[in-house]
Amino acid sequence: MRDTESFASPINLYEACDEAELRILLITGGWEVRRSFNQLGIQPGDRVRVLRRAPFGGPLMIDNQGTRVAVGKQMAEKIRVEVLP
Amino acid sequence: VKVALVGQPNSGKSTLFNAVAGYRSLTSNFAGTTVEYTQGEARIDGHVLDVIDLPGLYSLTPTTAVEEVSRDYLLGGQWDVIVNVVDTSQLARSLELTLELLDLESPMVVCLNMMDEAARKGMTVATGELEAALGVPVVEAIGGRGRGIRDLFQKAQEVAASNERAHPFIYAPEAEAIIEELAGNLPRAEPASAGKQESGGSADDRSKLIAESGGAATTSESAWRGARGEGGVEPPHSKANGAVSALRAISCPAGHCPGACCSEAAPVSNLKSQSSNLKSQSSNFKSQISNLKSQDSSGHSPLKVFPPARFQALQLLQSDPHRNAAEDSPKSEVRGPKRNDALPVEPGNPGPVPGDLKSQICDLKFQISAPEPGSGYSGIQNSESISCLADSGPRTPDARLASVGPRTSDSGPSFVDWARMEIAVRTGQPADAAISAARHAACLTLFERVAQVARAHTDWREYLDRAAMHPIWGYAVLAGVFLGFFRLIFDVGKLGEARILNLFDALTALLARHMNAQGAAYAATKGAVLGTAGAVAIVLPYLLPFLVGLAILEDIGYLSRVGYLMDAAMHRLGLHGTATLPILVGYGCSVPAVMATRILSSRRDRFIAAFLAVLVPCSARMTVIFALVGFYLGANYALGIYALNIIVVGVAGHVLARLWPEVSPGMLMEVPAYRVPAPRVVALKTWWRLREFVLVAFPLLVAGSVVLSLVDYYGWQHGINAVLSPLTALLGLPRSTGLTLIFGVLRKELSLLMLMQALGTTHVLGVMSAAQILIFTLFVAFYLPCMATLASMLRELGWRLTLGASAALLLVAVVVSLAARGVALIL
Repeated sequence: MRDTESFASPINLYEACDEAELRILLITGGWEVRRSFNQLGIQPGDRVRVLRRAPFGGPLMIDNQGTRVAVGKQMAEKIRVEVLP
Repeated sequence: VKVALVGQPNSGKSTLFNAVAGYRSLTSNFAGTTVEYTQGEARIDGHVLDVIDLPGLYSLTPTTAVEEVSRDYLLGGQWDVIVNVVDTSQLARSLELTLELLDLESPMVVCLNMMDEAARKGMTVATGELEAALGVPVVEAIGGRGRGIRDLFQKAQEVAASNERAHPFIYAPEAEAIIEELAGNLPRAEPASAGKQESGGSADDRSKLIAESGGAATTSESAWRGARGEGGVEPPHSKANGAVSALRAISCPAGHCPGACCSEAAPVSNLKSQSSNLKSQSSNFKSQISNLKSQDSSGHSPLKVFPPARFQALQLLQSDPHRNAAEDSPKSEVRGPKRNDALPVEPGNPGPVPGDLKSQICDLKFQISAPEPGSGYSGIQNSESISCLADSGPRTPDARLASVGPRTSDSGPSFVDWARMEIAVRTGQPADAAISAARHAACLTLFERVAQVARAHTDWREYLDRAAMHPIWGYAVLAGVFLGFFRLIFDVGKLGEARILNLFDALTALLARHMNAQGAAYAATKGAVLGTAGAVAIVLPYLLPFLVGLAILEDIGYLSRVGYLMDAAMHRLGLHGTATLPILVGYGCSVPAVMATRILSSRRDRFIAAFLAVLVPCSARMTVIFALVGFYLGANYALGIYALNIIVVGVAGHVLARLWPEVSPGMLMEVPAYRVPAPRVVALKTWWRLREFVLVAFPLLVAGSVVLSLVDYYGWQHGINAVLSPLTALLGLPRSTGLTLIFGVLRKELSLLMLMQALGTTHVLGVMSAAQILIFTLFVAFYLPCMATLASMLRELGWRLTLGASAALLLVAVVVSLAARGVALIL
């Protein structure tokens, strides 16, 4: 059960459903994007959760180990995640 | 003894600073409150400490101008001890900066601040264990309540006195080998403490040396050839084929983990499910610590170079490989060496590689590879391994070739490039990513070891957020807060204004009776009384409630949430949500608002945000709006001006975004937890801001009034008004208002006071029509920023943009006032 679900095709963070447990697979984009995420302690392998999202293509609010971070749409689209069961 | 307070944004550095040095540094609950360093004196046990409150920085490789301020200060080396302030409730993340600071090999104390916040989250921290792991003293504190502060600074002083240096955080031996190689090839720059401006100088030297080490350049060249199998001499330091082990080496803290370590070490947030791995890692930690301890003997020897070569090497590895030196602001040269060591481009070179090659390769690998059982990924079944796919993974020769492929033609290879490539090849990710992944993994492991987190329960904060951040109600709340805030200020202010004005009216009447109404002395005295009246009766009643309200809003932590809500709208202005913060600060005062734009990473974003922040009516203009329009025409007109202002801000932002298009990188902003504002802090903060008014603005207002009275007495104002008459005529204002507009550039409230004086009464409505009052206020609200703001714009933006912005503001003011005049004529 776990194996089949965890191999679901990776999506980007913006496509993830609210409240789903996610694992970051990859941060695409250049140095600056990677750096900005790393600075906030967001790295491939981390577990995150989308708490809520603002309307009109607004940002997501994600929870990463108790830290809340607002992630804009463009930035969220640069993160590949998998949905954890 | 100089104590530098260093920590991530919103970790409470300024609160600690204020607790020992008196309230000198503004505090609030959002990341990026402090954008410049503040120095103060603290007396602990009869010793005087110089304490420096630095702006928050997430890491020593900055992405924003604020972080550069701190980084440059730290690397300047003009301090004796670092106090690393850590928000304990964000311990895992905060440790990343702590580990970086250890690399500075300097006296250091870690302060676990906000222990109460951590306790609320159900967190307990084994301080002793953390202390042992980091090798530097750790002190618990609650800055907001003044707990542990004395201990902290005592400890800092002890550490400074004994000059006990921190030991660098050690990566795996193989990774260290590369780092050491690079460090050894850096120029032995003169100690940075010799000159404060070290970053410029030594960075130059360094790049020069990197360039001069021709051997390095050619070896790296041949290293590439070797890697690509084109023959050539294998460079001595290229341990190229031990790649697999090196890969593990760099992405896990100590290198000798079992097979799957690399993919396990980097993504460790799922630690609990993988306790077996955890154990092996924590044993690694122990070995690391013993490693550290074995170096103890060298600990007390003075550093030959500051910053240490190892630190410099790490910085270079983490710097942006594609950053163009020309783009760099002079300040940030240390980010990466200038690549003036251009080598001839190889024939058959595919030419400049667009974009971020390495991340493209990552992408590529992401697609082509699936973990192969038994190829060093034993036990890893899920796609974690993808994130750190490396040499051992299946890899087409092409991909390998690409990853070591030639770099862009404008920048020949250098030693740093070689090291970067070496790491990239070994780990399958860019050097900076590999290093920060290793650090991240180490932090999480350390965190798991020293901290226990109970399951967090939903409290009022969560419910508050559900309402305040709701897709629909969130905006209703925002509008409500905004309207309610200004309405309340107006109601309170109006009460005060009416009463205090009566008092001063009586005083002027008294004056007229007792003095010779013809003399210059009378004119001057009357001016002084009117100036005082204006400051005390008109400005203060609005300013005081505004400052209290602002302090409360800032401390609750709502402003970052406004950024979240407004992000989508800000994209229409070519900005993103983070830019909301400086603009909101602009409602208080334009000077800190312009400075707050430093939290944005692009120069263009900084300019647009600064322009919009200046356009927003600051508290001085607020008093003009409320005391004139609000007082005479009603609160709705005053709030209408605010609404109109928001529209103008929107249009101006839209136009600017068109004129200076650039793809905005998007928002990434920490949202702080809600906090109940402490009354004491709110009071101190209000006083701190009010002090500026009392010390700077008040004398200016009184002096300005006296000057104007004398100008009026001697009849000089006619000339000035005549010069300005085209403008006043255009706007349909009384000619005598011309002079007041000039005074407004000194200080916005002056316009208001001058107006009353120029008209010879505090009862403006009798002299000016309602439309004129409205037009005058609109013009004052939009036209040129005051001197202090202009100065800070000059500093932050340069004279060209400042001049452009000023001209644009003047234009906006004329257009808006004319439009208002048109509307008034029609009605």
